[in-house]
Amino acid sequence: MNTSGMNTTGVNTSGSGTGVRDAVRMEKVSKVYGRGRGAVAALREVTTAVPRGRFTAVMGPSGSGKSTFLHCAAGLDTPTSGTVHLGETELSGMYETKLTELRRARVGFVFQAFNLVSSLTVEQNITLPLRLSRTRLDKAWLNEVVARVGLADRTGHRPAQLSGGQQQRVAIARALVTRPEVVFGDEPTGALDTMTARDVLTLLRETVDGMGQTVVMVTHDPVAASYADTVLFLADGRIVDWMDAPSSDKVAARMTRLGAWK
Amino acid sequence: MLWLVLSTLRHRKAGFAGAFVALLCAAALVCACGILLDTGLRGSIAPERYAGSPVVVTGDQFVHKTIVKKEGKKKHKAKAIAERAWLPASVAGKVRGANGVRDVITEVTFPAEIGDSADDDRESWGHGWESAALTPFTLREGRAPTADDEIVIDAATARTKGLRPGSTVKVASAVPGGYRVVGVTEQSLKHQTAVFFSTAQAERLSGRSGMVTAIGAHGPVKAIEDAVRGTKATVHTGKDRGKAEFLGAEKSRIKLISMGGALGGTALLVAILVVSGTFALSVQQREREIALLRAVAATPRQVRRMIGREALLVGFVAGPLGAAAGLPLAFWLRDRFRGLGALPPNLDLVVSPFPPFAATLAAVAAAFAAARITARRTARIRPVEALGDTAPGRSGLGVVRILAGLVVTAGAIVLTIVLSGLNTEAASSPVTMLTAIVWTVAVAVLGPAICRAAAAALSVPLRFFPVGGHLAAANLGTGARRLASVVTPLTLMMGLTATILFVQTTMGHAATNQASEGTIAEHVVGPKVPHGTAEEIRRAPGVTAATEVLRSTVRVDLENYGVQGVTPGGLDRTMDLDVREGSLQGLDSSTIAVSSTASARLDVRPGDRLSLALGDGTPIEPKVIAVYERGLGFGDLTVTRDLLAAHVDDPRGTLLIAGTPPDGLPTTDAGTLAENRATTNAEVNYVAMGLILAFTAIAVVNTLAMSTSGRARELALLRLVGTTRRQVMRMLGWETLAIAGIAAALGSAIALVTLTAFSSGMTGGAPHVPPLGHLGVLALGGVLAAAATALPARLAMAARPADTINTRE
Repeated sequence: MNTSGMNTTGVNTSGSGTGVRDAVRMEKVSKVYGRGRGAVAALREVTTAVPRGRFTAVMGPSGSGKSTFLHCAAGLDTPTSGTVHLGETELSGMYETKLTELRRARVGFVFQAFNLVSSLTVEQNITLPLRLSRTRLDKAWLNEVVARVGLADRTGHRPAQLSGGQQQRVAIARALVTRPEVVFGDEPTGALDTMTARDVLTLLRETVDGMGQTVVMVTHDPVAASYADTVLFLADGRIVDWMDAPSSDKVAARMTRLGAWK
Repeated sequence: MLWLVLSTLRHRKAGFAGAFVALLCAAALVCACGILLDTGLRGSIAPERYAGSPVVVTGDQFVHKTIVKKEGKKKHKAKAIAERAWLPASVAGKVRGANGVRDVITEVTFPAEIGDSADDDRESWGHGWESAALTPFTLREGRAPTADDEIVIDAATARTKGLRPGSTVKVASAVPGGYRVVGVTEQSLKHQTAVFFSTAQAERLSGRSGMVTAIGAHGPVKAIEDAVRGTKATVHTGKDRGKAEFLGAEKSRIKLISMGGALGGTALLVAILVVSGTFALSVQQREREIALLRAVAATPRQVRRMIGREALLVGFVAGPLGAAAGLPLAFWLRDRFRGLGALPPNLDLVVSPFPPFAATLAAVAAAFAAARITARRTARIRPVEALGDTAPGRSGLGVVRILAGLVVTAGAIVLTIVLSGLNTEAASSPVTMLTAIVWTVAVAVLGPAICRAAAAALSVPLRFFPVGGHLAAANLGTGARRLASVVTPLTLMMGLTATILFVQTTMGHAATNQASEGTIAEHVVGPKVPHGTAEEIRRAPGVTAATEVLRSTVRVDLENYGVQGVTPGGLDRTMDLDVREGSLQGLDSSTIAVSSTASARLDVRPGDRLSLALGDGTPIEPKVIAVYERGLGFGDLTVTRDLLAAHVDDPRGTLLIAGTPPDGLPTTDAGTLAENRATTNAEVNYVAMGLILAFTAIAVVNTLAMSTSGRARELALLRLVGTTRRQVMRMLGWETLAIAGIAAALGSAIALVTLTAFSSGMTGGAPHVPPLGHLGVLALGGVLAAAATALPARLAMAARPADTINTRE
């Protein structure tokens, strides 16, 4: 099933250049929760790189560490050891305020649910990161983003008036509005039905193809993963495999071997 | 940032309603207290009887002391005395001699009531007709009194009692007697009744020949001041004359200052506690939203600022509204206090812009303080929490919080120790409230830890009930922080209520007990028994001993002490003061007996001399002859009745009778009299503190309602998986019972610790807590908690569960 010889080594160097082409680089990143006997290692010395302008999916069974992988890569959480680079910037050793400023300037997020502030309108939600960083709003760019996600006639609505799929579109627009280097998605289609999920995934795919956006998405759904250029497989805190040009069947088969659907 | 704050406030009205209501109430209370305080500081009373004399000279109503501090600075302290200070008539001569002074009038004032009963609270004073021009009073009909049995009455008295020149009437005073009305005045005074006697008879009835209460004059103030220099006279002009006329008002003003300050301070502390509780709860309910903000773009500082601005905004809206509500509240309080006789009717409230302004400021400050306290927690909300499906409830206490809790607990312990050493009511009343509040703050800070332990203990019995009890136990166990936030206000309410109520019963009980144990005489007559009447009863057949008891307050070195004057003859058959040292045998005009409390505080033993200022300011230095135990029931100092009678406004007292009293004499028992004395003071405290309790009750309802409505989704989920509405209500019922139980235990413990410390300082014994009363307090808290849970729960479950669960937070 493997499309590459570099399997199960725990090391993936798909973008093997020295870095500038990589949006995110992780070197020997470990994350341990708890202390002493109760300590649980969620990531074990993960070394990898996410290339620019591509759509990368991260897959793995429950408890494989894929969420922790995303948190560490996006600067939401700090690794126990190892280094993380976002572009040229090293994240390790940064304090929370610095990390926040970095996130709002250079990273976008789409979560599974609870993506939006319920008291704000669609437009206010989209422009939230700009307002918080006191960045001038580029009206033309905002209009383009809103048009791309297909919400041009809904900017005045509040989240409660939107369907689940529309809410995720708002989240994607918010992630794009700062022109981030990377958009991270944590199961962005996890709470959606198949049809709506397909729309959202297509939208993400379009941002990569049409705008050159880098997207990293954690998912457990082989169909969702099939929209990516590359899939990384995580198991027990390690990267155990990777796959270019995935199809949902191949991904599903690989996941079965990892024991995801026993 | 403001746009985010505003839209959040608009969108989450319910979450801020709690804080809003709490701040509104706090502002109203602080404003009302501020008005009382302001009235105490700057309130003035217009003169009535002295209105016709531009300059009034009276005795000095203060005792003075100059304290020399270390740096050589001198500080002058003055404290008001309890009775009217009289002046020698020779001072009038000096005033007459002053340059440019004319129309000098002297006055004597003594209690004199027309008819048998003093049927209203209106003060009634007797004067000599020579002082009529002070007001001035003029005759409408009849003539001035000349003979000893002639009186002139004012127009209002003539009308209400139906008297005309020619009527005969009984007048009660130090020497009661029958009088003939010979004239009625054109005028009457708004707040007092005036009865005019002939000059000679007035001097006789006043009991102080050669002395006057006031001297009125027209002429230059400066000249009069110079003329009376060297005497103890003080000169009053303008509104200041009212102070000289209404001595009771002066005492009320001081009471207003201390009560306004204590009440306002307590309200403010309670507000900070309650508001930080509701803010914490609202932040807890928005945890996920805050995590999202953190993940997307907001720095911890921005989140803190956002919470702070929300609080300030709520404060700025609630503050002025509450301050406005404080105005009618102040007038309501004024009416209550007047009804209880604690506030003279002619002392009107001073309404200035300061109290509302201060109240608004206080509300904003309280909101800001509460937000600061709450914001510490929000900084700990990690952005990762926005990503997970369930928000993990962190329940561990941070190091800072544990340290803060320990510091507050230490503070509470120190206060408790201090309180147990305080033996004057003025000092211990505010400290008692503060102690109870600081203990509650300690509970609030360490709340989650306490609640987790309590929940673990309670889950054992709860799990016997399969559905409701089981679910309740699970909820209590996992939601320690939410539990703590609702337990805190309930604890505050129960603890404060018990403390306030039972401080009064403890004091009343100790005093009443001592009074009834120490009164051996079977019968008590009074109050206001004239000396002559007492003499007659004493000589009556069947009476073995009769002791006249007179009460007043003296100052020892500026401090107030209660004093009783007793007739020494046959004292051992009517009163047992429980003498520990010395003997009461030698009690005469140059000796004094002291309670053990006073003996310890003043460091005097039998044989020592004790210098003190009597109620009218007269200094004496009697020899201590005995130390007795029952100071609370009878007063800290005991002198002879004759000594005291010459220095009080009203020399009539109560009479203790051993043996068989004459037929037809209305008597009561000893306890009743002591209770009546204690009641007025207690009622004033109940009214004042009742407001604080109402405030905490509102906070309880607030917090519980907020907590319950914030659980709408959770309740909907329970119903979707098959829990019936009834089972959900039963689960909430068990939870509320557990909450009330924990609060009852904590509140009772706080009240007990505080009361024990208070009691050991004030009475030297254990506190008196009527079990039924205490259960009542706890039950009230429980009922309130149940109502505040059940109603919002019904509302929350009114919608179909499927709809509720689909509305995003």
